[in-house]
Amino acid sequence: MTRQVIALSFVVAAVTSAQAHHSSAMYDQQKTLTLRGVVTQVRWTSPHVNVSVLTDSDRGHAGVAWVLEVTSPGNLMRAGWTRTSIKAGDRISVLVAPLRDGTHGGWCRGVTLLESGKKLEC
Amino acid sequence: MHAKALLIAVVAALAVACGRSAGTAAPNAGAGPLPDWSGIWVPDVEDQFAQIDTNPLPWTPEVAAEVKRLTAAEAAGHPKGLFANCLPEAMPAWMLVSHNALEFLFTPGRVTMLGESDGNRLRRIYTDGRPHPADPDPSFHGHSIGHWEGQTLVVDTIGVLPQTYIAVSEAVGVPNNGGLHVVERMHLAGADVLLDELAITAPKVLTTTWTTTRRFTRQKGPNADILEGVCLQGSFAEQTDSRGDAVFVAVPHTDEGNPVPPPAP
Repeated sequence: MTRQVIALSFVVAAVTSAQAHHSSAMYDQQKTLTLRGVVTQVRWTSPHVNVSVLTDSDRGHAGVAWVLEVTSPGNLMRAGWTRTSIKAGDRISVLVAPLRDGTHGGWCRGVTLLESGKKLEC
Repeated sequence: MHAKALLIAVVAALAVACGRSAGTAAPNAGAGPLPDWSGIWVPDVEDQFAQIDTNPLPWTPEVAAEVKRLTAAEAAGHPKGLFANCLPEAMPAWMLVSHNALEFLFTPGRVTMLGESDGNRLRRIYTDGRPHPADPDPSFHGHSIGHWEGQTLVVDTIGVLPQTYIAVSEAVGVPNNGGLHVVERMHLAGADVLLDELAITAPKVLTTTWTTTRRFTRQKGPNADILEGVCLQGSFAEQTDSRGDAVFVAVPHTDEGNPVPPPAP
């Protein structure tokens, strides 16, 4: 329970003006993390799409909620996405440029749908 | 006699028509066939960033110090959110730093620019020969008049709110502070490349007129349609209320104004 509260507080701090136009400088573009987990929510909104992911539990530790920022619906559509390309309940692996402060938010770089193997560029 | 009466009527009608056209300029006066600017136009963002170093702005010393501070803050991972409040990117920042596509509509006497991602991206450029108002109401995109020089659209814009940014990125820019004047020459530079050559005069923050060219690439096809975008939509969740009505509900936010993600199940 304590771990969950801590994890959630990290995520709260991590979401940085995610719904408006902004620089991506808060993300460390020199780092790449790979997350595996289940999609809990997709918000297909301008100017940025948000994907929430609960990572798989690992060696006895509960999964962690991450919020990933993606480019705009228009830019995604032109990259081959639709608003249902990723849905709540989908299991995914996702490449992430994480927030510089180490909290659980990041910029999406690429998604693999684990059941179908389909890859989507962010 | 009958033919003479007809001739008089025709001459009278022509005189009336001429009088009208003298009073209000003809739509797109002087223009030949207009160019094909159909499709959507995607900004060259890499070129936007490259010009930060290759074509620096002639900032006043005081503004240059602030730009340096903002640049350092962004480099350190603490970018200022110039547009995080969802107000329009506005003139001239929309043309300078947007990452989103736009489209043009040609109608008699007017060119309209519509931008993706925010419903508030809209420029009306009057090409019917009218002058600027003597005292235009300040607005985010200002008052724009244009004319065609061959296949080039020349646009003159004044009346922009002093709060709108002259920006080099989404995190580095300063308010124009008043007196902004923008002259643009928009034209094709190839089948699918559009250039916007801007000359920006902002006497409160620039020591001289700054010129820059922004590049846009055309896309066409069903996946290239402009999508509706409402910047604040992301601040609301789509839910069903106790009456069964579909409603928008404000997303919980942190003290910093950031939305809170759903808790882990």
